[in-house]
Amino acid sequence: MIRRSAMAFSLMLLAGGTALAATAPAARQSILDHYAAEARKTDAGFKGFSAAAGQAFFLAHPGTGRPETPSCSTCHTNSPRNQGRTRAGKTLAPMAVSLSPSRFTDLAKVRKWFARNCHTVYGRVCTPVEKGNFITFMAHQ
Amino acid sequence: MRQRAEAGVPVWDLGVRLFHWLLVLSVTVAAVTGFFAQRSALDVHLIAGTAIAGLIGYRVVWGLLGGRYARFASFVFSPRATLAYARSVLAGRSGRYLGHNPLGAAMVFALLAVLAAIVLTGVVVLGGMVKQGPLAPFTPFAIGTATIGVHKLLSLLLVAMVAAHLGGVWYESRRERENLAEAMLTGAKHGPAEPAAGVRAHMRAALAICLVGGVLAAGTLTALADLPGLGVPTTRLDPDYARECGACHTAYSPGLLPAASWTGLMAHLDQHFGEDASLDAGLATRLRSWLVANAAEHWDTLPAVRIRQSIDPKDPARITASGFWQRMHRRIPAATFANKEVGSRGACNACHMDAASGRFAPQSIEIPEDLQ
Repeated sequence: MIRRSAMAFSLMLLAGGTALAATAPAARQSILDHYAAEARKTDAGFKGFSAAAGQAFFLAHPGTGRPETPSCSTCHTNSPRNQGRTRAGKTLAPMAVSLSPSRFTDLAKVRKWFARNCHTVYGRVCTPVEKGNFITFMAHQ
Repeated sequence: MRQRAEAGVPVWDLGVRLFHWLLVLSVTVAAVTGFFAQRSALDVHLIAGTAIAGLIGYRVVWGLLGGRYARFASFVFSPRATLAYARSVLAGRSGRYLGHNPLGAAMVFALLAVLAAIVLTGVVVLGGMVKQGPLAPFTPFAIGTATIGVHKLLSLLLVAMVAAHLGGVWYESRRERENLAEAMLTGAKHGPAEPAAGVRAHMRAALAICLVGGVLAAGTLTALADLPGLGVPTTRLDPDYARECGACHTAYSPGLLPAASWTGLMAHLDQHFGEDASLDAGLATRLRSWLVANAAEHWDTLPAVRIRQSIDPKDPARITASGFWQRMHRRIPAATFANKEVGSRGACNACHMDAASGRFAPQSIEIPEDLQ
């Protein structure tokens, strides 16, 4: 009885894990689609996201956020391929999707961190286009 | 006229000599680590203290079952006899004893008593303040801090007694024209052999008692030391807390801040040490309750009590602003915290291997290699 349920549970885990690995790019695409749909709400002529614009957004020093965090690079360094470090000293996995494949695959997590970090670095809410550009840039890194 | 033995009379048996020199070694190590060493060397101090405790136990057994001059019965003198001997020393006409003279005997008992008291107070301090050892399950922090002064005073008294002991050995060696320190090495003294009157060492019985007693004592004490310490919660970090807060920094033990600090901190997550750490409102409420339920008030450990007592009222949520944190880290240069191995003052786990548990045991401090 116990053995059978344990086996069923393992199979479920296995199936779940395989599904997750297979769907990471799909999950990321659905997040991009979500932001694209939001972008179209305000701009009917929206053509698509730009990795170059995302890079510029990532490297900018807007000067409108908190003095402790003048830019994304404060914690994430100037290259998405580097490991980052929080101000409290914790190591951060690279932002580049090629090095951290699970990045931008969980909408709730993506929303949470855009909400927090746009606030601290830019001092405002980021637009759907900015978010989509950012993810597109990271997905190409 | 008494016969003089040319080759020397065996006085101090191997049991006495081993005890004496092992005690010298253990006390030296305990004193050096206790008076001078850093906290991270606590284990060496504890090993020396444990050795002293074992040696005292062994000496009591040997005092009852050992050879003639090892037996307490051979050097228990009445206070009157001891005073009379002291007077005769002052008058420069004291007699000679092959074993302990009355003053030396008094010193033996006094040293054993003071050493036992030092070990006992040490175990109380260890149990109360460090929450380790056999008394950890029973000793409040306040009892530990109240006892550390006694432990230190007794240790200073011991240093004075050792000095007096050495002075006595030097004086008697001169007076008797015999190197008494050497006699404690070889066991032999000059003089006429005194009749042993049927006293002989019960070597096997003593060994058996020491072995059985030692195993029983070690087993009991270890079992006690393995019990959870008094006021040391063993509940694990809430998994949501560990994940959400651990995303940016060490998931600090809830015992490191009092409830009021946690409440204030959770009320302003959007302004969290210069950053926005906003959480979903429901989750934030739940984590706040968990933090308050496990805050420093519910701990009786050194970091919890001392941080709570020294919170900076202007910055009550910053652990590193507390007087205790500042005092404990005052010798660590700013460059050490800035080093890439550490990253910040808030990275407790860079050096405290047990930071997540909230214990912060002295033995768990490991400075990163390139910072040593």
